Amino acid sequence: MNHQQESEKDELRARFTGWLEVTLYRAKLNYLKKQDRERKTIYVDVLPEELLVEENSEWKWLHRLTEQSGFDFKEEKLERAFGSMTRQRQRILTMLFVEEKTPEEIARQLGCSQQNVYKQRSEALIALRNMLERGGEGNE
Amino acid sequence: MNKEKFRSVLTGAVAGCQKDLEQILNFYMPLIDKNSYVNGRLDEDLKQYLMIHIALQIGKFPV
Repeated sequence: MNHQQESEKDELRARFTGWLEVTLYRAKLNYLKKQDRERKTIYVDVLPEELLVEENSEWKWLHRLTEQSGFDFKEEKLERAFGSMTRQRQRILTMLFVEEKTPEEIARQLGCSQQNVYKQRSEALIALRNMLERGGEGNE
Repeated sequence: MNKEKFRSVLTGAVAGCQKDLEQILNFYMPLIDKNSYVNGRLDEDLKQYLMIHIALQIGKFPV
């Protein structure tokens, strides 16, 4: 009883417990949000090649997602440079400049953030420009 | 832990004393555990994240 009265009077402990509850709750939300973001962004480049070409129905959607549009390039140099880029970048550039989709639509379709689409586009264009200057050869 | 003891331990933890921080973490372990459950399962990574978060943020608590 005496102990109970003592803890009821302990203003500092009550204040700290309240602060800690709020801090822990916010930290948990941040952690879960971060986990969710990381789970949504799957880089196709990271997946093994055999998963992308396998005729397994489970992976067909992924194959469709990464397959090239098959359009003809006028310049061989450009074709070589485009071909040496990662599948993800090829897909994003195709969707942006051939299918004329907005970054928002692409992000929704690929299941990644819009920021990631902008980043991939900018990096892909820089890499493409560099490769074209070098004659369309070499890795990004 | 009585009132005076708690105040001294908390003050030490806020000031950066590792032993006091350990005591505070042990004292509040049930609250940390409660927040470490996701969909009814204990997430050990989350638990560790929360403990690190407390260690980093406790200095901001106004004693």
